[in-house]
Amino acid sequence: MAAELLEFGYLFVVLAVTGAVALRLGLSVIPLYVVGGVVVGPYVAGRFGLPYVADGEVVTLLAELGIVLLLFFLGLEFSLDRLRAARSNIGRAGAIDLVVNLPLGVVIGLALGWSVVEAFLLGGIVYISSSAIVTKTLIDLGWIADPESEPILGTLVFEDLAIAVYLAAVTSLVLGGEGGLAAIGRSLAIAFGFLGLLLVLVQYGTPLFTRVLDVENQEAFVLRALAVVVPVAGAALALGVSEAVAAFFVGMGFSTSGHRETIERRLTSVRDVFAAIFFFWIGLGTDPTLLAAVVVPLVVAVVLTTPAKVVSGYLGGRVYDLSTHRSLRVGVGMVPRGEFSLVIAALAASGSTQVMREAIPAFAVGYVLVMSALGTVLMQRSDLVERLVFRGGSAKADS
Amino acid sequence: MTVYESDLPGVGKKHEVELGDGARLVIVTHNTGKREVFRRASADSDSEKLFELDDELARQVGTLLEGAYFQPVETTDIETLLGDSTLLEWVEVSPDSDVAGKTLGESDLRQATGASVIAIERDDEVITSPGGETPIEAGDTLIVIGPRESCREFAALVKGA
Repeated sequence: MAAELLEFGYLFVVLAVTGAVALRLGLSVIPLYVVGGVVVGPYVAGRFGLPYVADGEVVTLLAELGIVLLLFFLGLEFSLDRLRAARSNIGRAGAIDLVVNLPLGVVIGLALGWSVVEAFLLGGIVYISSSAIVTKTLIDLGWIADPESEPILGTLVFEDLAIAVYLAAVTSLVLGGEGGLAAIGRSLAIAFGFLGLLLVLVQYGTPLFTRVLDVENQEAFVLRALAVVVPVAGAALALGVSEAVAAFFVGMGFSTSGHRETIERRLTSVRDVFAAIFFFWIGLGTDPTLLAAVVVPLVVAVVLTTPAKVVSGYLGGRVYDLSTHRSLRVGVGMVPRGEFSLVIAALAASGSTQVMREAIPAFAVGYVLVMSALGTVLMQRSDLVERLVFRGGSAKADS
Repeated sequence: MTVYESDLPGVGKKHEVELGDGARLVIVTHNTGKREVFRRASADSDSEKLFELDDELARQVGTLLEGAYFQPVETTDIETLLGDSTLLEWVEVSPDSDVAGKTLGESDLRQATGASVIAIERDDEVITSPGGETPIEAGDTLIVIGPRESCREFAALVKGA
Protein backbone atom coordinates (compact mmCIF):
# COMPACT_ATOMS: atom_id res chain seq x y z
CA MET A 1 0.00 0.00 0.00
CA ALA A 2 2.76 2.40 0.99
CA ALA A 3 4.40 1.94 -2.40
CA GLU A 4 1.18 2.78 -4.23
CA LEU A 5 0.53 5.86 -2.14
CA LEU A 6 4.07 7.02 -2.71
CA GLU A 7 3.62 6.49 -6.43
CA PHE A 8 0.50 8.63 -6.35
CA GLY A 9 2.35 11.28 -4.43
CA TYR A 10 4.93 11.21 -7.21
CA LEU A 11 2.17 11.57 -9.80
CA PHE A 12 0.75 14.66 -8.11
CA VAL A 13 4.18 16.23 -7.70
CA VAL A 14 4.78 15.83 -11.43
CA LEU A 15 1.35 17.29 -12.25
CA ALA A 16 1.94 20.22 -9.93
CA VAL A 17 5.37 20.91 -11.38
CA THR A 18 4.30 20.63 -15.04
CA GLY A 19 1.26 22.79 -14.24
CA ALA A 20 3.55 25.42 -12.75
CA VAL A 21 5.81 25.29 -15.81
CA ALA A 22 2.79 25.71 -18.10
CA LEU A 23 1.61 28.75 -16.15
CA ARG A 24 5.08 30.22 -16.20
CA LEU A 25 5.49 29.77 -19.95
CA GLY A 26 1.92 30.76 -20.71
CA LEU A 27 1.23 27.39 -22.34
CA SER A 28 -1.80 25.15 -22.03
CA VAL A 29 -1.53 22.64 -19.20
CA ILE A 30 -2.93 19.80 -21.31
CA PRO A 31 0.15 19.02 -23.47
CA LEU A 32 2.46 19.54 -20.51
CA TYR A 33 0.57 17.05 -18.32
CA VAL A 34 0.95 14.55 -21.17
CA VAL A 35 4.67 15.25 -21.43
CA GLY A 36 4.98 14.88 -17.65
CA GLY A 37 3.34 11.47 -17.93
CA VAL A 38 5.66 10.39 -20.73
CA VAL A 39 8.77 11.47 -18.84
CA VAL A 40 8.02 9.76 -15.53
CA GLY A 41 6.26 6.81 -17.16
CA PRO A 42 7.56 3.30 -17.69
CA TYR A 43 8.90 4.07 -21.18
CA VAL A 44 11.27 6.88 -20.19
CA ALA A 45 11.99 6.97 -16.45
CA GLY A 46 11.37 3.21 -16.32
CA ARG A 47 13.85 2.47 -19.09
CA PHE A 48 16.55 4.52 -17.44
CA GLY A 49 16.03 2.68 -14.15
CA LEU A 50 14.66 5.78 -12.44
CA PRO A 51 11.62 5.70 -10.16
CA TYR A 52 8.57 5.71 -12.43
CA VAL A 53 4.79 5.67 -12.26
CA ALA A 54 3.42 2.39 -13.61
CA ASP A 55 0.48 2.41 -15.99
CA GLY A 56 -1.54 0.50 -13.38
CA GLU A 57 -5.20 -0.24 -12.82
CA VAL A 58 -5.77 2.53 -10.29
CA VAL A 59 -4.36 5.29 -12.49
CA THR A 60 -6.40 3.94 -15.39
CA LEU A 61 -9.56 4.01 -13.29
CA LEU A 62 -8.98 7.58 -12.13
CA ALA A 63 -8.16 8.63 -15.69
CA GLU A 64 -11.46 7.07 -16.75
CA LEU A 65 -13.20 9.27 -14.16
CA GLY A 66 -11.42 12.19 -15.81
CA ILE A 67 -12.97 11.35 -19.20
CA VAL A 68 -16.39 10.92 -17.62
CA LEU A 69 -16.21 14.27 -15.83
CA LEU A 70 -14.85 16.11 -18.90
CA LEU A 71 -17.82 14.98 -20.95
CA PHE A 72 -20.24 15.47 -18.05
CA PHE A 73 -19.23 19.13 -17.93
CA LEU A 74 -19.63 19.40 -21.67
CA GLY A 75 -23.18 18.11 -21.32
CA LEU A 76 -23.90 20.65 -18.60
CA GLU A 77 -23.31 23.41 -21.14
CA PHE A 78 -25.88 21.92 -23.47
CA SER A 79 -29.41 23.12 -23.09
CA LEU A 80 -32.20 22.95 -25.61
CA ASP A 81 -31.47 26.62 -26.30
CA ARG A 82 -27.99 25.67 -27.38
CA LEU A 83 -29.36 23.00 -29.67
CA ARG A 84 -31.82 25.44 -31.17
CA ALA A 85 -29.01 27.94 -31.69
CA ALA A 86 -27.11 25.16 -33.46
CA ARG A 87 -29.69 25.21 -36.22
CA SER A 88 -28.69 28.62 -37.48
CA ASN A 89 -25.22 30.03 -38.11
CA ILE A 90 -23.63 27.58 -35.71
CA GLY A 91 -25.08 24.73 -37.72
CA ARG A 92 -23.74 26.03 -41.03
CA ALA A 93 -20.28 26.91 -39.76
CA GLY A 94 -20.12 23.63 -37.83
CA ALA A 95 -21.20 21.59 -40.83
CA ILE A 96 -18.47 23.15 -43.00
CA ASP A 97 -15.93 22.37 -40.26
CA LEU A 98 -17.17 18.76 -40.12
CA VAL A 99 -17.26 18.01 -43.85
CA VAL A 100 -13.81 19.48 -44.44
CA ASN A 101 -11.85 18.05 -41.54
CA LEU A 102 -13.31 14.66 -40.62
CA PRO A 103 -13.15 13.16 -44.14
CA LEU A 104 -9.65 14.57 -44.60
CA GLY A 105 -8.47 12.58 -41.58
CA VAL A 106 -10.25 9.47 -42.83
CA VAL A 107 -8.58 9.83 -46.22
CA ILE A 108 -5.16 10.21 -44.60
CA GLY A 109 -5.82 7.04 -42.58
CA LEU A 110 -6.93 5.07 -45.63
CA ALA A 111 -3.91 6.32 -47.59
CA LEU A 112 -1.70 4.94 -44.83
CA GLY A 113 -3.27 1.56 -45.50
CA TRP A 114 -5.30 1.50 -42.29
CA SER A 115 -8.69 -0.17 -41.99
CA VAL A 116 -11.89 1.87 -42.22
CA VAL A 117 -12.42 1.90 -38.45
CA GLU A 118 -8.80 2.92 -37.85
CA ALA A 119 -9.05 5.67 -40.46
CA PHE A 120 -12.30 6.83 -38.88
CA LEU A 121 -10.52 7.13 -35.53
CA LEU A 122 -7.83 9.23 -37.19
CA GLY A 123 -10.56 11.38 -38.73
CA GLY A 124 -12.01 12.12 -35.30
CA ILE A 125 -8.63 12.94 -33.80
CA VAL A 126 -7.77 15.51 -36.48
CA TYR A 127 -11.33 16.87 -36.66
CA ILE A 128 -12.00 17.94 -33.10
CA SER A 129 -10.51 21.21 -31.86
CA SER A 130 -9.73 21.68 -28.21
CA SER A 131 -12.47 23.65 -26.43
CA ALA A 132 -10.22 24.10 -23.40
CA ILE A 133 -7.16 25.44 -25.24
CA VAL A 134 -9.06 27.52 -27.79
CA THR A 135 -11.31 29.16 -25.21
CA LYS A 136 -8.45 29.94 -22.88
CA THR A 137 -6.38 31.45 -25.69
CA LEU A 138 -9.35 33.54 -26.83
CA ILE A 139 -9.58 35.01 -23.34
CA ASP A 140 -5.83 35.47 -22.99
CA LEU A 141 -5.50 37.28 -26.31
CA GLY A 142 -8.60 39.42 -25.79
CA TRP A 143 -10.24 38.00 -28.95
CA ILE A 144 -13.17 37.15 -26.72
CA ALA A 145 -14.39 40.74 -27.12
CA ASP A 146 -14.13 40.68 -30.91
CA PRO A 147 -16.63 39.35 -33.45
CA GLU A 148 -14.48 36.30 -34.31
CA SER A 149 -15.18 34.78 -30.89
CA GLU A 150 -18.78 33.99 -31.85
CA PRO A 151 -18.13 31.69 -34.83
CA ILE A 152 -15.20 30.10 -32.99
CA LEU A 153 -17.18 29.30 -29.85
CA GLY A 154 -20.24 28.40 -31.91
CA THR A 155 -18.27 25.90 -33.97
CA LEU A 156 -16.82 24.42 -30.80
CA VAL A 157 -20.40 23.87 -29.58
CA PHE A 158 -21.22 22.07 -32.80
CA GLU A 159 -18.09 19.94 -32.50
CA ASP A 160 -18.97 19.03 -28.91
CA LEU A 161 -22.30 17.70 -30.06
CA ALA A 162 -20.77 15.97 -33.08
CA ILE A 163 -18.18 14.30 -30.86
CA ALA A 164 -20.93 12.85 -28.67
CA VAL A 165 -22.54 11.18 -31.67
CA TYR A 166 -19.13 10.20 -33.05
CA LEU A 167 -17.97 8.59 -29.79
CA ALA A 168 -21.22 6.68 -29.50
CA ALA A 169 -20.70 5.19 -32.96
CA VAL A 170 -16.97 4.62 -32.73
CA THR A 171 -17.12 2.96 -29.31
CA SER A 172 -19.33 0.23 -30.64
CA LEU A 173 -17.16 -0.12 -33.74
CA VAL A 174 -14.00 -0.50 -31.65
CA LEU A 175 -15.38 -2.65 -28.85
CA GLY A 176 -17.75 -4.79 -30.88
CA GLY A 177 -16.11 -4.70 -34.26
CA GLU A 178 -14.62 -8.18 -34.34
CA GLY A 179 -17.49 -10.40 -35.32
CA GLY A 180 -18.23 -8.96 -38.71
CA LEU A 181 -21.11 -6.85 -39.89
CA ALA A 182 -23.81 -8.50 -37.75
CA ALA A 183 -21.85 -7.91 -34.56
CA ILE A 184 -21.21 -4.30 -35.48
CA GLY A 185 -24.89 -3.85 -36.19
CA ARG A 186 -25.81 -5.41 -32.88
CA SER A 187 -23.42 -3.29 -30.86
CA LEU A 188 -24.55 -0.14 -32.65
CA ALA A 189 -28.15 -1.07 -31.87
CA ILE A 190 -27.33 -1.61 -28.20
CA ALA A 191 -25.43 1.67 -28.07
CA PHE A 192 -28.10 3.80 -29.60
CA GLY A 193 -30.82 1.92 -27.72
CA PHE A 194 -29.13 2.62 -24.40
CA LEU A 195 -28.38 6.23 -25.28
CA GLY A 196 -31.92 6.71 -26.59
CA LEU A 197 -33.28 5.42 -23.30
CA LEU A 198 -30.93 7.72 -21.43
CA LEU A 199 -32.02 10.65 -23.57
CA VAL A 200 -35.67 9.99 -22.75
CA LEU A 201 -34.76 9.83 -19.07
CA VAL A 202 -32.84 13.09 -19.38
CA GLN A 203 -35.70 14.74 -21.25
CA TYR A 204 -38.41 13.79 -18.76
CA GLY A 205 -36.30 13.31 -15.67
CA THR A 206 -35.47 16.94 -14.99
CA PRO A 207 -37.65 17.09 -11.84
CA LEU A 208 -35.90 13.96 -10.60
CA PHE A 209 -32.46 15.42 -11.31
CA THR A 210 -33.53 18.60 -9.53
CA ARG A 211 -34.69 16.70 -6.46
CA VAL A 212 -31.57 14.55 -6.22
CA LEU A 213 -29.40 17.63 -5.90
CA ASP A 214 -31.75 19.63 -3.66
CA VAL A 215 -29.38 19.68 -0.73
CA GLU A 216 -27.56 22.56 0.89
CA ASN A 217 -24.64 20.57 2.25
CA GLN A 218 -21.71 20.90 -0.11
CA GLU A 219 -20.30 17.45 0.51
CA ALA A 220 -23.64 15.74 0.02
CA PHE A 221 -24.17 17.72 -3.17
CA VAL A 222 -20.85 16.71 -4.72
CA LEU A 223 -21.30 13.07 -3.72
CA ARG A 224 -24.82 12.90 -5.11
CA ALA A 225 -23.78 14.37 -8.44
CA LEU A 226 -21.00 11.77 -8.71
CA ALA A 227 -23.41 9.08 -7.55
CA VAL A 228 -25.55 9.76 -10.60
CA VAL A 229 -23.00 10.29 -13.33
CA VAL A 230 -20.42 7.61 -12.46
CA PRO A 231 -22.80 4.61 -12.20
CA VAL A 232 -24.57 5.60 -15.43
CA ALA A 233 -21.22 5.88 -17.22
CA GLY A 234 -20.15 2.56 -15.75
CA ALA A 235 -23.34 0.84 -16.84
CA ALA A 236 -22.83 2.23 -20.33
CA LEU A 237 -19.31 0.90 -20.55
CA ALA A 238 -20.42 -2.50 -19.25
CA LEU A 239 -22.82 -2.65 -22.21
CA GLY A 240 -20.08 -1.64 -24.64
CA VAL A 241 -21.53 1.85 -24.97
CA SER A 242 -19.39 4.97 -24.70
CA GLU A 243 -19.14 5.96 -21.05
CA ALA A 244 -18.17 9.44 -22.20
CA VAL A 245 -21.37 9.92 -24.16
CA ALA A 246 -23.46 8.56 -21.27
CA ALA A 247 -21.80 11.14 -19.01
CA PHE A 248 -22.48 13.81 -21.62
CA PHE A 249 -26.19 12.95 -21.56
CA VAL A 250 -26.33 12.98 -17.76
CA GLY A 251 -24.73 16.41 -17.92
CA MET A 252 -27.45 17.51 -20.32
CA GLY A 253 -30.03 16.24 -17.85
CA PHE A 254 -28.54 18.35 -15.09
CA SER A 255 -28.16 21.41 -17.31
CA THR A 256 -31.86 22.22 -16.99
CA SER A 257 -32.20 21.17 -13.36
CA GLY A 258 -31.48 24.64 -12.02
CA HIS A 259 -28.34 23.28 -10.38
CA ARG A 260 -26.01 23.83 -13.31
CA GLU A 261 -24.09 26.73 -11.83
CA THR A 262 -23.76 25.07 -8.45
CA ILE A 263 -22.45 21.92 -10.09
CA GLU A 264 -19.94 23.92 -12.06
CA ARG A 265 -18.82 25.81 -8.99
CA ARG A 266 -18.50 22.79 -6.74
CA LEU A 267 -17.30 20.10 -9.12
CA THR A 268 -14.87 22.00 -11.31
CA SER A 269 -11.95 21.24 -9.03
CA VAL A 270 -12.95 17.57 -8.89
CA ARG A 271 -13.05 17.46 -12.67
CA ASP A 272 -9.72 19.28 -12.97
CA VAL A 273 -7.99 16.77 -10.70
CA PHE A 274 -9.26 13.73 -12.62
CA ALA A 275 -8.79 15.36 -16.02
CA ALA A 276 -5.17 16.10 -15.11
CA ILE A 277 -4.72 12.44 -14.17
CA PHE A 278 -6.29 11.49 -17.51
CA PHE A 279 -3.81 13.58 -19.50
CA PHE A 280 -0.97 12.25 -17.38
CA TRP A 281 -2.17 8.68 -17.92
CA ILE A 282 -2.21 9.24 -21.68
CA GLY A 283 1.45 10.19 -21.33
CA LEU A 284 2.19 7.11 -19.22
CA GLY A 285 0.98 4.82 -21.96
CA THR A 286 3.01 6.58 -24.64
CA ASP A 287 6.27 5.02 -25.73
CA PRO A 288 8.27 7.85 -27.32
CA THR A 289 10.01 5.35 -29.60
CA LEU A 290 6.58 4.59 -31.07
CA LEU A 291 6.32 8.30 -31.85
CA ALA A 292 9.24 7.79 -34.19
CA ALA A 293 7.27 5.06 -35.92
CA VAL A 294 4.33 7.37 -36.58
CA VAL A 295 6.40 10.32 -37.68
CA VAL A 296 5.28 10.00 -41.30
CA PRO A 297 1.53 10.07 -40.61
CA LEU A 298 2.20 12.79 -38.06
CA VAL A 299 3.96 15.09 -40.50
CA VAL A 300 1.37 14.40 -43.21
CA ALA A 301 -1.47 15.13 -40.80
CA VAL A 302 0.04 18.33 -39.45
CA VAL A 303 0.83 19.62 -42.92
CA LEU A 304 -2.62 18.83 -44.33
CA THR A 305 -4.96 19.41 -41.39
CA THR A 306 -3.59 22.78 -40.27
CA PRO A 307 -4.51 24.59 -43.49
CA ALA A 308 -7.73 22.57 -43.71
CA LYS A 309 -8.86 23.90 -40.32
CA VAL A 310 -7.86 27.42 -41.29
CA VAL A 311 -9.89 27.16 -44.50
CA SER A 312 -12.98 25.64 -42.86
CA GLY A 313 -12.79 28.21 -40.06
CA TYR A 314 -12.41 30.98 -42.62
CA LEU A 315 -15.56 29.79 -44.40
CA GLY A 316 -17.32 29.56 -41.03
CA GLY A 317 -16.38 33.16 -40.32
CA ARG A 318 -17.83 34.16 -43.69
CA VAL A 319 -21.09 32.43 -42.70
CA TYR A 320 -21.21 34.90 -39.82
CA ASP A 321 -20.65 37.78 -42.29
CA LEU A 322 -17.26 38.62 -40.87
CA SER A 323 -14.62 40.43 -42.91
CA THR A 324 -11.95 38.33 -44.61
CA HIS A 325 -9.36 39.28 -42.06
CA ARG A 326 -11.55 38.35 -39.10
CA SER A 327 -12.66 35.15 -40.86
CA LEU A 328 -9.04 34.14 -41.21
CA ARG A 329 -8.67 34.55 -37.47
CA VAL A 330 -11.60 32.21 -36.96
CA GLY A 331 -9.68 29.64 -38.99
CA VAL A 332 -6.48 30.16 -37.05
CA GLY A 333 -8.43 30.01 -33.81
CA MET A 334 -9.72 26.52 -34.54
CA VAL A 335 -6.27 24.95 -35.03
CA PRO A 336 -5.41 23.80 -31.47
CA ARG A 337 -6.36 20.17 -30.77
CA GLY A 338 -6.36 18.69 -27.31
CA GLU A 339 -8.51 16.83 -24.84
CA PHE A 340 -11.03 15.19 -27.18
CA SER A 341 -8.39 13.91 -29.56
CA LEU A 342 -6.87 12.23 -26.52
CA VAL A 343 -10.25 10.82 -25.45
CA ILE A 344 -10.52 9.23 -28.91
CA ALA A 345 -6.95 7.93 -28.57
CA ALA A 346 -7.82 6.36 -25.21
CA LEU A 347 -10.76 4.65 -26.88
CA ALA A 348 -8.57 3.44 -29.74
CA ALA A 349 -6.09 1.97 -27.24
CA SER A 350 -8.79 -0.45 -26.07
CA GLY A 351 -9.12 -1.78 -29.61
CA SER A 352 -7.82 -5.06 -30.94
CA THR A 353 -5.47 -4.23 -33.80
CA GLN A 354 -1.89 -3.11 -33.44
CA VAL A 355 -2.62 0.16 -35.22
CA MET A 356 -5.34 0.91 -32.65
CA ARG A 357 -3.32 -0.11 -29.63
CA GLU A 358 0.01 1.44 -30.59
CA ALA A 359 0.05 3.66 -33.65
CA ILE A 360 -3.11 5.69 -33.03
CA PRO A 361 -2.44 6.60 -29.37
CA ALA A 362 1.17 7.52 -30.18
CA PHE A 363 -0.02 9.50 -33.19
CA ALA A 364 -2.63 11.31 -31.10
CA VAL A 365 -0.14 12.29 -28.43
CA GLY A 366 2.33 13.62 -30.97
CA TYR A 367 -0.45 15.35 -32.91
CA VAL A 368 -1.90 17.03 -29.82
CA LEU A 369 1.54 18.18 -28.69
CA VAL A 370 2.25 19.72 -32.10
CA MET A 371 -1.20 21.16 -32.75
CA SER A 372 -1.76 22.62 -29.28
CA ALA A 373 1.58 24.44 -29.49
CA LEU A 374 1.32 25.34 -33.18
CA GLY A 375 -2.29 26.48 -32.80
CA THR A 376 -1.58 28.75 -29.87
CA VAL A 377 1.49 30.23 -31.55
CA LEU A 378 -0.47 30.86 -34.76
CA MET A 379 -3.17 32.61 -32.74
CA GLN A 380 -0.60 34.76 -30.94
CA ARG A 381 1.07 35.64 -34.24
CA SER A 382 -2.07 35.86 -36.34
CA ASP A 383 -0.80 39.15 -37.75
CA LEU A 384 1.99 37.22 -39.48
CA VAL A 385 -0.49 34.65 -40.79
CA GLU A 386 -2.67 37.43 -42.14
CA ARG A 387 0.23 39.08 -43.88
CA LEU A 388 1.29 35.75 -45.34
CA VAL A 389 -2.17 34.87 -46.62
CA PHE A 390 -3.23 38.28 -47.84
CA ARG A 391 0.26 39.41 -48.97
CA GLY A 392 0.56 42.73 -47.26
CA GLY A 393 -2.85 43.72 -46.01
CA SER A 394 -4.91 43.71 -49.20
CA ALA A 395 -7.51 42.00 -47.03
CA LYS A 396 -8.70 45.23 -45.49
CA ALA A 397 -9.48 46.57 -48.92
CA ASP A 398 -11.72 43.75 -50.02
CA SER A 399 -13.43 43.17 -46.68
CA MET B 1 -27.88 54.05 -27.20
CA THR B 2 -27.88 50.53 -28.61
CA VAL B 3 -26.66 47.54 -26.65
CA TYR B 4 -25.87 44.28 -28.45
CA GLU B 5 -25.97 41.10 -26.44
CA SER B 6 -24.45 37.81 -27.51
CA ASP B 7 -23.85 34.46 -25.96
CA LEU B 8 -20.30 33.15 -25.56
CA PRO B 9 -20.78 29.39 -25.05
CA GLY B 10 -18.65 28.09 -22.23
CA VAL B 11 -17.46 31.58 -21.34
CA GLY B 12 -20.41 33.81 -20.52
CA LYS B 13 -22.07 36.78 -22.18
CA LYS B 14 -20.89 39.72 -24.20
CA HIS B 15 -22.50 43.15 -24.31
CA GLU B 16 -21.46 45.84 -26.74
CA VAL B 17 -22.48 49.43 -26.11
CA GLU B 18 -22.34 52.01 -28.90
CA LEU B 19 -20.45 55.04 -27.69
CA GLY B 20 -21.62 57.41 -30.40
CA ASP B 21 -18.29 58.14 -32.09
CA GLY B 22 -18.26 54.75 -33.84
CA ALA B 23 -16.44 53.18 -30.93
CA ARG B 24 -17.92 50.44 -28.80
CA LEU B 25 -17.54 49.52 -25.19
CA VAL B 26 -17.41 45.73 -24.92
CA ILE B 27 -18.21 44.07 -21.62
CA VAL B 28 -17.54 40.36 -21.29
CA THR B 29 -19.24 38.82 -18.28
CA HIS B 30 -17.63 35.47 -17.51
CA ASN B 31 -19.63 32.65 -15.95
CA THR B 32 -17.29 32.99 -12.99
CA GLY B 33 -18.60 36.52 -12.43
CA LYS B 34 -15.45 38.22 -13.68
CA ARG B 35 -16.08 41.23 -15.95
CA GLU B 36 -13.65 42.28 -18.63
CA VAL B 37 -14.13 45.68 -20.21
CA PHE B 38 -12.75 46.47 -23.65
CA ARG B 39 -12.96 49.38 -26.03
CA ARG B 40 -13.11 48.92 -29.77
CA ALA B 41 -12.28 52.15 -31.59
CA SER B 42 -14.03 51.14 -34.82
CA ALA B 43 -15.66 48.10 -36.39
CA ASP B 44 -12.38 47.12 -38.06
CA SER B 45 -10.05 47.57 -35.15
CA ASP B 46 -9.33 45.09 -32.42
CA SER B 47 -10.67 45.45 -28.95
CA GLU B 48 -8.33 46.95 -26.44
CA LYS B 49 -8.72 45.74 -22.91
CA LEU B 50 -9.31 48.52 -20.43
CA PHE B 51 -9.65 46.66 -17.14
CA GLU B 52 -11.16 43.66 -15.40
CA LEU B 53 -13.09 43.38 -12.16
CA ASP B 54 -14.33 40.52 -10.06
CA ASP B 55 -18.06 40.14 -9.51
CA GLU B 56 -18.33 42.07 -6.26
CA LEU B 57 -16.14 44.95 -7.36
CA ALA B 58 -17.99 45.15 -10.69
CA ARG B 59 -21.30 45.60 -8.86
CA GLN B 60 -19.87 48.29 -6.63
CA VAL B 61 -18.36 50.17 -9.55
CA GLY B 62 -21.65 49.68 -11.38
CA THR B 63 -23.65 51.42 -8.66
CA LEU B 64 -21.06 54.19 -8.57
CA LEU B 65 -21.50 54.76 -12.29
CA GLU B 66 -25.23 54.63 -11.81
CA GLY B 67 -24.96 57.39 -9.22
CA ALA B 68 -26.61 55.27 -6.62
CA TYR B 69 -23.73 54.14 -4.52
CA PHE B 70 -24.32 54.04 -0.82
CA GLN B 71 -22.94 52.35 2.23
CA PRO B 72 -25.68 52.27 4.88
CA VAL B 73 -23.44 52.36 7.91
CA GLU B 74 -22.38 55.00 10.38
CA THR B 75 -22.55 58.21 8.39
CA THR B 76 -25.80 60.15 8.63
CA ASP B 77 -25.62 61.54 5.11
CA ILE B 78 -26.48 58.62 2.92
CA GLU B 79 -28.99 58.90 0.14
CA THR B 80 -30.01 57.11 -2.99
CA LEU B 81 -31.74 58.76 -5.87
CA LEU B 82 -34.80 56.92 -7.17
CA GLY B 83 -35.98 58.31 -10.45
CA ASP B 84 -35.43 62.04 -10.91
CA SER B 85 -36.44 63.62 -7.64
CA THR B 86 -37.26 60.94 -5.10
CA LEU B 87 -34.71 60.17 -2.44
CA LEU B 88 -34.09 57.19 -0.24
CA GLU B 89 -32.28 58.45 2.82
CA TRP B 90 -30.86 57.05 6.03
CA VAL B 91 -31.40 59.29 9.06
CA GLU B 92 -29.93 58.51 12.44
CA VAL B 93 -31.88 59.45 15.57
CA SER B 94 -29.58 61.22 18.00
CA PRO B 95 -30.19 60.89 21.78
CA ASP B 96 -31.27 64.53 22.09
CA SER B 97 -33.68 64.31 19.19
CA ASP B 98 -37.28 65.37 19.86
CA VAL B 99 -38.68 62.19 18.32
CA ALA B 100 -36.63 59.76 20.44
CA GLY B 101 -39.02 57.94 22.75
CA LYS B 102 -42.14 58.80 20.75
CA THR B 103 -43.96 56.36 18.51
CA LEU B 104 -43.95 56.93 14.79
CA GLY B 105 -47.59 58.10 14.98
CA GLU B 106 -46.92 60.57 17.81
CA SER B 107 -43.96 62.10 16.03
CA ASP B 108 -46.22 63.03 13.12
CA LEU B 109 -43.22 63.25 10.82
CA ARG B 110 -45.01 62.30 7.65
CA GLN B 111 -47.65 64.99 8.02
CA ALA B 112 -45.02 67.55 8.91
CA THR B 113 -42.56 66.80 6.13
CA GLY B 114 -44.14 64.58 3.48
CA ALA B 115 -41.43 61.93 3.76
CA SER B 116 -42.31 58.44 5.03
CA VAL B 117 -40.37 56.00 7.13
CA ILE B 118 -40.23 52.68 5.30
CA ALA B 119 -37.90 50.81 7.66
CA ILE B 120 -36.08 51.22 10.95
CA GLU B 121 -32.64 49.81 11.59
CA ARG B 122 -32.10 49.07 15.27
CA ASP B 123 -28.78 47.43 16.14
CA ASP B 124 -28.66 44.39 13.88
CA GLU B 125 -32.38 44.25 13.40
CA VAL B 126 -34.48 45.82 10.66
CA ILE B 127 -38.16 46.64 11.19
CA THR B 128 -39.74 46.87 7.76
CA SER B 129 -42.93 48.82 7.06
CA PRO B 130 -43.22 50.09 10.65
CA GLY B 131 -46.75 51.02 11.78
CA GLY B 132 -47.79 54.17 13.66
CA GLU B 133 -47.46 52.40 17.01
CA THR B 134 -43.76 51.58 16.44
CA PRO B 135 -41.59 53.42 18.98
CA ILE B 136 -38.58 55.39 17.79
CA GLU B 137 -35.51 55.00 19.97
CA ALA B 138 -32.35 57.01 20.20
CA GLY B 139 -29.70 55.36 18.01
CA ASP B 140 -32.22 54.06 15.46
CA THR B 141 -31.57 54.67 11.80
CA LEU B 142 -34.73 55.62 9.96
CA ILE B 143 -34.91 54.78 6.27
CA VAL B 144 -36.95 57.47 4.68
CA ILE B 145 -38.42 57.93 1.23
CA GLY B 146 -39.84 61.08 -0.29
CA PRO B 147 -39.17 64.10 -2.48
CA ARG B 148 -35.77 65.67 -1.98
CA GLU B 149 -37.10 68.70 -0.04
CA SER B 150 -39.21 66.55 2.26
CA CYS B 151 -36.24 64.37 3.06
CA ARG B 152 -34.14 67.42 3.91
CA GLU B 153 -36.84 68.73 6.26
CA PHE B 154 -37.26 65.29 7.77
CA ALA B 155 -33.55 64.99 8.51
CA ALA B 156 -33.45 68.47 10.03
CA LEU B 157 -36.41 67.67 12.29
CA VAL B 158 -35.13 64.32 13.50
CA LYS B 159 -31.62 65.48 14.15
CA GLY B 160 -33.25 67.88 16.56
CA ALA B 161 -31.81 71.16 15.47
